[in-house]
Amino acid sequence: MSDRLRRLVWLAYVWAFFVFVFAPIAIVVVVAFQEQGYVAFPIRGYSLRWFEKVFAYKPFIDGLVTSFEVAALASVGALLLGTPAALALARHESRTADAAVTFLLSPLAVPLIVVGFAMLFYLSRFGLGTTFLGLLIAHTVVSIPYVVRTTIGVYRAIGREIEEAAEVLGATRRQVLWYVTLPAIRPGLIGGALLSFLISIDNLPVSYFFSSVDTVTLPVVMLSYMESSFDPSIAALSVVQLLIAFGGLLLVDRVYGIRSLSRTI
Amino acid sequence: MAQAARSRTGSIAWGPALPALLFLVALFVAPLIDNGLRSIAPPAGAPWYAYYARLVSDPFYLSSLVETVGLSVLVTALCLVAGYPVAYYLTRYAGRWRSLIVFLLISPLLTSIIMRTFGWRAIFARRGLLNTFLLDAGLVDRPIDLLGSPLSAVVGLVHVLIPFMVLSIAAVLEKLDPRIEEAAHVLGASRTQAFVRVILPLSLDGVASGTILVFMLAMGSFVTLLFLGGGSLKTFPLLIYQQFNTTRDFGMAAAMSNVLMTIAVALMFVQLRLIRRTGVS
Repeated sequence: MSDRLRRLVWLAYVWAFFVFVFAPIAIVVVVAFQEQGYVAFPIRGYSLRWFEKVFAYKPFIDGLVTSFEVAALASVGALLLGTPAALALARHESRTADAAVTFLLSPLAVPLIVVGFAMLFYLSRFGLGTTFLGLLIAHTVVSIPYVVRTTIGVYRAIGREIEEAAEVLGATRRQVLWYVTLPAIRPGLIGGALLSFLISIDNLPVSYFFSSVDTVTLPVVMLSYMESSFDPSIAALSVVQLLIAFGGLLLVDRVYGIRSLSRTI
Repeated sequence: MAQAARSRTGSIAWGPALPALLFLVALFVAPLIDNGLRSIAPPAGAPWYAYYARLVSDPFYLSSLVETVGLSVLVTALCLVAGYPVAYYLTRYAGRWRSLIVFLLISPLLTSIIMRTFGWRAIFARRGLLNTFLLDAGLVDRPIDLLGSPLSAVVGLVHVLIPFMVLSIAAVLEKLDPRIEEAAHVLGASRTQAFVRVILPLSLDGVASGTILVFMLAMGSFVTLLFLGGGSLKTFPLLIYQQFNTTRDFGMAAAMSNVLMTIAVALMFVQLRLIRRTGVS
């Protein structure tokens, strides 16, 4: 095989791979703008009616609001719990420290449906079954690993020199933490919080178990809607969600610079 | 670089770590233990292992166990075979397109899992894109039922999980000196020989960590199977959902959850050993 041919074959393969990756996503965007009341091809006309329906259908909006509240509060909770732990453990090289970090990351390993099922029964014992607080606790458990992982990654990457310099120059431990460490790891904190927010918004298996009249998150609403009908409103809603996620990412990048995060991890 | 920032000296300041550790012990470990206890507390008269005995003796549950493991093996193998070349291209040939490709690999994570599932439904449905194409091309006479078959479930799972495989393998390939491959060529190895006898063995750590990760995620997958498998597959997560929802056989659901959790935790330890040995995460 000549070099040129080989190069073409490689390129064709990688193109095919990304067509596979993006085809279903692109199709949802197209379907969101179609006019018919059911998903079918070829598409006969385009309209914005499904977007109108999304904003007019109350369960979607209520679900979106609940999802936002849970995701925001769970991210804050995970930051408050996870950041101090990550800072305390990141710099130690011992079996105990490693084991503690592993433990903090372990909710990532257990299938979400198992976490949701087990937590619902456990929290029900304390009357927190299908309550907002129960839902929030479950989401916080799942969010902690994301914050811990990104914070540890960034904190190890910055090295200890700047903190030592601050100490030598007479800063107290509190001043070092507040004026040196926290600003330095900010990309990790923002990145971890953003990641846990996005994961929480998309978390169907855990939310499902905790759903009741006032704790229905958006994915659960979408699940029950999709079980009964296959119209393009789910596609329109998905596009809205994608725009929100993308907008959030751009905003955070503008303000805090995610790029510096991707360099450090 | 990461190692230089860590030290063996000094004791750990447990204070700041305590709230998170206690939170997880009380609200993550305790529920899982509680669940484990429920799985060994069948109605009076039955031995403690009754639920587990049913898992391995009742043909319904046994075939579900086989399906869960079989599906995960198949999906993992497909991700490996289809994903390895992408990882190789990314680290060897991509050049200035490298960061774009990494971005393209990660960006689907911005879309919800429901969105991706919906996309595959639109492709596989009776009047979906694929059937329309096949009919127009005259390849089939009437629409074929692809949605709700194991095929669409497998395709959907590979779609969701393959980026994890590519990134795991690329992380290891990236650390290989390209000169190793050149040296193999200079010493007379053909491209195939250089790959099979030099590059592939050296990248096995990435293959292993990607394989474990994808297998773990495939075994616990739920949303994709629910919407694309359409009842053609009955894996443990789907049965847990069903038993919670309709049959309300919580004891069996607890036993299945416990099995899934045990496999997941065991795999996590294997993966940790791997990371510790190679320093790749």
